Amino acid sequence: MKNILFAFLFTSSLAVSSTDIVDQCDSDNLANSCIPKLASGFNFLKSYKVDGIAKEKVEYSYVFTKGTQYMINVCANGTSTDGIVVSIFDKERNKVATSKINGQFISAIAYPCNATGIYYIQYTFDEPSAHCGGSALGFKR
Amino acid sequence: MRLFVYGVIALLALSCSSGKKPDEQAFLESLDSTKTAGPGVDEEVINSILDQIPSPLEISLLLKESGSKYNPELLNSTNNLPKYNSNYRKALNLGVYGTDLGYTNIYGQNQDGIKYISSIKSLADDLNIGQFFDVETIGRLATNSKNLDSLLLITTLNFNHINHYLQSQRRDNLSVLLLTGGWLEAMQITCQAAAKNPSNKELQEKIGEQKIILEQILLLFSFYESDENMASLHADLEQLKAAFDKININYTYKESTMEIVNGVAVIKDNSTTTIDITPQNVEEIKNLTNSIRNKIIS
Repeated sequence: MKNILFAFLFTSSLAVSSTDIVDQCDSDNLANSCIPKLASGFNFLKSYKVDGIAKEKVEYSYVFTKGTQYMINVCANGTSTDGIVVSIFDKERNKVATSKINGQFISAIAYPCNATGIYYIQYTFDEPSAHCGGSALGFKR
Repeated sequence: MRLFVYGVIALLALSCSSGKKPDEQAFLESLDSTKTAGPGVDEEVINSILDQIPSPLEISLLLKESGSKYNPELLNSTNNLPKYNSNYRKALNLGVYGTDLGYTNIYGQNQDGIKYISSIKSLADDLNIGQFFDVETIGRLATNSKNLDSLLLITTLNFNHINHYLQSQRRDNLSVLLLTGGWLEAMQITCQAAAKNPSNKELQEKIGEQKIILEQILLLFSFYESDENMASLHADLEQLKAAFDKININYTYKESTMEIVNGVAVIKDNSTTTIDITPQNVEEIKNLTNSIRNKIIS
């Protein structure tokens, strides 16, 4: 099963790289590499490119539903998150989750949602020289 | 490989059985406004809305967990495939069949799933997006319910690629139709299941929550008012919205708490939503959804 996943990701990354102009941030591959890193039991939902070159933040939105647990992880070049912080904001822009806790960068957030609505998934960069990464979102009931 | 053969046979059978002369086919296609370029809406705007709409498979999974039994009669029969003679109807029903395939997969109904794969491939080919459907891989994943995450992965990534491709061709309206068809089918299945289990409050709430999704879908449709077919469907969806407007979703924010467990930031969400929905609301939404869906599939 994992072989199928990896084979698919490999071929899709090849397809993308052959058609797209190579840019400085290979966020496509980083996003794809994040998918198999979702914790066991979580079903893949979305992968996100975190190309923050010349940007202060990268933001996406998604409808989270009550009673569902979500996981969002962060991948960067190397083993750490390279100072990339993922935070979740509710529709009123209240911060409901972050991967930076007490100055520590965590590579994944588990968010058991208790309130259905549109949420904003925001990536910010604490490391001035590293604004490139990927991320994956998964869910389980 | 066998699936591919089935797909080819289905395609051949379709091309032989449609019984339409080339001129008649050309005339039908000329009536199809969805075949031509859309209004060229900003890709980023469309993507940001499309991206936030959950996969219909999420709802299907909830249905199974709620104890609802598999019911193939809720699905759109693959026998309807020859009826879809315009790109507008093909795109909508590609979304419908996609949801049906996910439903069969979640319940482990492999034989039914195979039929949907053939129909999906056929519609995708007709819409010139068949290159994004690797029938063999999808077939392998869809006929094993343990592969739900992989099926979700492929369908999601496929949708992203299709979306990007259609936008590059200024046919982004087809992406919206794909998504809308899939959502309506999931709504219809959920409403039927809720009607059979009137005491299941969670299913009713799940229907009520779809108010948020419908608002996003309507936002998408607002970009395509010049397309006659989409404007007509937009009007139908506005009627559905009027039914949803009777439902109140009340949100209360309360600061979350967090802790680190095994290297993961585990959040305790202290905010809540309450959804005020009655069985009468569900009935009205079910009837309207069914009526719109019947226009699409029949």
